[in-house]
Amino acid sequence: MKASPLLLLASLAFTACERPPTVESPPAPTIDVQETVPAFEAALSTVRVSSTRQDWNPRQPWEKNPPRKRRSLGAVVSDRHVVTTAEMVTDATYLELETTDGLKLAQAKVDAVDYEANLALLTLEDPDDPFFENLVPLEIAEAPTTGDVLDVVQVENNGLPLVTRGPVQSIDVVANFLPGQYFLTYEVKASMQNSASSFSLPVLHDGELAGILTNYNSDDQISDVTATPILRRFLDDAADGTYEGFPSLGVATTSTDDSNFRAWLKLGDDHGGLYISSVRDDSAAGKAGVRKGDVLLAIDDREIDRLGYYDDARFGRVFWSHLVRGSKGVNEAAVLRVLRDGEILELTAELERLDAEDRLVPAYTYGTAPNFLIKGGLLFQELTRPLLRSFGKDWQSRAPLDLLDVYENPEDYEERFDRVVFLSGVIATPATVGYEPLRNLIVTEVNGQPIRDMKSLVAAFGEVPGDGLHAIKFDDEDFTVYLDEPLATAVDSQLLQRGLTRLSRTE
Amino acid sequence: MLLRTLAAIGALVLPLAAQQAIPENPASAPSEVYRSVVRIESAVQVPDYAMPWNSGRFGGGIGTGFVIGENQILTNAHVVSNARRLLITVHGSPKKYPARVEHIAHDCDLALLSVEDFSDFEDFPVFEIGGVPQLESQVRVIGYPIGGQRLSVTRGVVSRVDFSTYSHSRADQHLVIQIDAAINPGNSGGPVLQDGKVIGVAFQGRRDADNTGYIIPTPVVRRFLTDIEDGRYDHYVDLAVSTFPLFNDAMRRALRVPDDNLGVLVTGVVPEGSCHGILQPGDILTGIDGNPIDSAGQILIDGAKVDLNEIVERKFAGDTVELRYRSGDTWHDRAVELKPLPQNRMYAIQYEKQPRYIVFAGLVFQPLDTNLFATAKFDDLHVRRLYEDYLSEGLFTELEDIVVLTRIESDPINSQLSGFTGKVIDTVNGEKVTSLARAHELLHPETPPEFFVIRLLGASRPLIIPGTEVAAANERIQRTYAIDQLSNLEE
Repeated sequence: MKASPLLLLASLAFTACERPPTVESPPAPTIDVQETVPAFEAALSTVRVSSTRQDWNPRQPWEKNPPRKRRSLGAVVSDRHVVTTAEMVTDATYLELETTDGLKLAQAKVDAVDYEANLALLTLEDPDDPFFENLVPLEIAEAPTTGDVLDVVQVENNGLPLVTRGPVQSIDVVANFLPGQYFLTYEVKASMQNSASSFSLPVLHDGELAGILTNYNSDDQISDVTATPILRRFLDDAADGTYEGFPSLGVATTSTDDSNFRAWLKLGDDHGGLYISSVRDDSAAGKAGVRKGDVLLAIDDREIDRLGYYDDARFGRVFWSHLVRGSKGVNEAAVLRVLRDGEILELTAELERLDAEDRLVPAYTYGTAPNFLIKGGLLFQELTRPLLRSFGKDWQSRAPLDLLDVYENPEDYEERFDRVVFLSGVIATPATVGYEPLRNLIVTEVNGQPIRDMKSLVAAFGEVPGDGLHAIKFDDEDFTVYLDEPLATAVDSQLLQRGLTRLSRTE
Repeated sequence: MLLRTLAAIGALVLPLAAQQAIPENPASAPSEVYRSVVRIESAVQVPDYAMPWNSGRFGGGIGTGFVIGENQILTNAHVVSNARRLLITVHGSPKKYPARVEHIAHDCDLALLSVEDFSDFEDFPVFEIGGVPQLESQVRVIGYPIGGQRLSVTRGVVSRVDFSTYSHSRADQHLVIQIDAAINPGNSGGPVLQDGKVIGVAFQGRRDADNTGYIIPTPVVRRFLTDIEDGRYDHYVDLAVSTFPLFNDAMRRALRVPDDNLGVLVTGVVPEGSCHGILQPGDILTGIDGNPIDSAGQILIDGAKVDLNEIVERKFAGDTVELRYRSGDTWHDRAVELKPLPQNRMYAIQYEKQPRYIVFAGLVFQPLDTNLFATAKFDDLHVRRLYEDYLSEGLFTELEDIVVLTRIESDPINSQLSGFTGKVIDTVNGEKVTSLARAHELLHPETPPEFFVIRLLGASRPLIIPGTEVAAANERIQRTYAIDQLSNLEE
C-alpha cells in the first residue's frame, strides 16, 4: 500500500505494517432460528431513505455530473431524527423519508454527518411535519460483543420488515467507506436476502439499536456493522447541534515484530510497542512532543503490543487506534507512554480532529463545489483527492507525478501553499494559441503575487500589469506563460456565451 | 509500444523451416545482386534482470544483412544484440559462415559485421548506398522474412519521410522512411533498393496498422559509417536543451520578440550537456548553422521543414554548431561544441551488458535503468520521480546510480521485512548511497557494525540487519538460492 497524507491519521496505522492476523473468535453460538424475531417492532422504528445525489464534474468544474438515486433504510432514534450511513447523503440534492408501509413521505435534511465514520443524522425539512407521529424511537443498545446475536433489519418491496439474525463473529477496526478511516466494526455473519436493499440497514440487539450495517459481502456472508460505541458517540456529539467529530492522534505507525528491529530499538521483550514512522507537526501527537522514531508503548495505561493491539475490557484484542478514535472525544486528553533513546516518557496529547478541509489536499469534498478559475481559456483548479481519482482506476500510478507528489508528501508544500492551485488544462481559444499541450502544472506566481489558493489566484489576476500581459509561473518550470488581458476578457465572455455557467468559484 | 523490430524469433521460425523440404536443385538467383543479401542466424543470451545472477535466457533469431564493402556486412543492431554466435548463409548455399560484430550502434539500430573468411564473398557485388527516395517512388525490400527459408522480395512505395522513434533503444528518434511494402520479422537488416542502390535498411513495423514498414534512411546509415571510420562508435550528439514553441502572441510580446514567426524559447538546459553554460532557460533560439528556426522549432532543409535537431543529427562528437540566440537583451552568435549525452542511457534499453547487483543478507539491490524498469514495473513515487528527473534535473551529477531494493530472498535474517521492495535506498548507516559501488562499499566495511541501518526513501522504518549475522546469512542464501556470485559491480 502506498504512503499517503492520510497515513498521518492515527487510524491509518495498518498501512504502515502488515495487517495482523484477525483475532480468533470464540465458536459461534447456536442460534434458535425458530425464535420469534421482533419484526413488527422493527417496522415502527425503521424508515426508508431515498436520496438523489449529484457530484461535480472534476474535469469541467463549472458543471455537475448526472444525478443518481439511491434507496436504503434509516433507524428512528428520536421523535425527529433518523440515523443512516453518510454514504447515503453524500452530495445529496434531495432526501426523502418514507414509512415502511409507504403511507407517509417527508423531505429530510442532514442534521449532522461524519463521512469518516460513515454516519449521518437526518431530520425533517419541515419541523412541524407529523411524519414521526406513529414511529417509535430506538434506544441505543449496550455495546454487544463477540458472540452476541444481532438482528439486521431489511424491508421488502411490499413494506414488510425482514429480520435476519447473526452472531458477531469478530470485532476489528475497519475502513468501510473512505480509505484509511478505520473505526471499530462488528463483523456479523448472516445470510441476507438479496431482494431487499443490503446496505445502510439498522442492526438491533435485543430490540435496541446496536449499529448500522455499512457493507454486506454476499460471498462470505459477512456484514460490516458500525460498532455501538461509534454510533453512540456520534449521536451524543450531534445532540447539542454542533458536531465535533472523532479526534486523531496524527501519527503513522508500524509494527515492531521484527526481532532485529527490536534489538536496534533496544526494545525489551517485556514491552510491546509501535514504531512512530511519521508525525504531523500540527497534530495532537506533534503538539504533545511525539517524534518520528519514538516507540508508542501505551495510551492511558493501556499497553499496546508489538502488532498494535491492546486488550479491551469489553471487546478483547482491539487495534490501538480505537483508544483515540472511538473511545475519546475532541478536547479530551490522552496520555501517551513512549520510549525514546531507551527512556520512557509520558506525553499528554490534547486530542483534536484533523479536519479533511484543513489538509493541503482534501481527502474528500462532499457537499462542497470545487474551486476553479478560467482565464482566457486556461483552467486552474485546486488539487483534491477526488480530482486525482478522476485520472482513472489506476490513478495512484497514472496521475501526473507532480500532483501525486503533493498528495503523498504534503509536508514539502505546506509552507508555500494552503491549497495547491494547478493549471489543469487549456481550452483552445485565441488567447491560448500554442499553450494547448500545457497541463497539470502547479502555479506558484501570477503577476508577481505568490499563489496560496484559488482566492489569491483570482486576486492576482485582478491586478493587471502595466503592459496588459498577465504572467503565470509554475513550480519547477523555467518558463512563464503570458496572457493578454483584453483578449482573455473577450475570450472569457465568449466562453460564457458558449454555455459555461460561470468562470470561477472561490468558496 | 506499437513499433516492433523485425528480427524473427528463432524458436518460431526454425522448427517450421526444418519441416520444409529443401529443393534438391535450388533455383539460381534471379538477380546477381541477391547473392549479396545474406541470412543472419543469431544465437543470443538475454540477461535476466529479475534474477541478475542467473545466466539469462538462451534463444535465437533470424535477420538479414547485405554486403557493403570488403568484409563489411550491414544489418540492424537488434538482429545481433546480445549475440553469442552469429552464422551467415548466402542465397542458394547451405554453407554457414561464422561472423562477428565489428561495430554496433544501438541508438540508430545499425551494426556492421565481418565474416572470419571473406574469400567466398570476394566476387559478390557490393551494394552502393544511395540517397533519400521521393515520396510515391517505388522500392524493393529484400530479405529472409518468416514464412519460408529462402530469399523474399517485396515491392512498395515510399509513403512518408518523418522523424520517429527507433524502438530498439526506445529512447532515440531519428529520420525514418515509411513504405507500404509488406516487410515482416526476418526482414530486419535487409536492403531496400531503388535503381540498384540501397536507399534504406528495413528495421521495424507497426502492430496497429497494415501495409506500413519502416526503413532506416541513408543519412542515418552514412552517419553510422562515418562515425565508425576512426575505429569506434561515438554515438549521436545532442544539444541537450528543451524548448517551447513561441506561437502565442502575448508570449511573444512579453518576451519582446518581433512578430516574424521565428524563434523558440529555451526552457531547460541539461547540466554537463553541449549547451550547458551557454544557453539558459529564458533565452530565445532563432538560428542554427545559418538556418532560421521558426516558432515551432522547425527549419527548412532541401525544401522540407524538419526539426531543428536534424542539423545536430548529421554531426559528430567534437563538431560544432552555430547557434543564434538572444540572452537577456543581447544577441549572440556562438559556435557550440557538440557532445554525446551518455546519461540518456537511463532511458534506453541496454544490450550486451551484464546486470549489476548486490545480494546482501538476502536483500537484492540493483541500479535503476530502463531494463530494470521494464522487468520490475515500479510504481513507487520516489523511484518514478528520480527516474524522470535523472537527466532533466541533472540528478546524475550527484547520483551515479539510483539503487533500488528489488527483491528479498527469504532467510531468517530478513523474514520480517515485507513491504519494502521497489523502494530506493537512501543511506546505509547514515552514509548517502550514490552508486551501486558505493552501496557495496558501505555494506562491506572491514569490521561489520553491530547493526546495518538501511534507510529507504518513503519507507515506514529503517531496515535493520545485525552485522555479525550477515556472513552466515550470505553463505546460506548463496547456497539455497543458487546465487553463484553475491554481487556484480561491472556491466
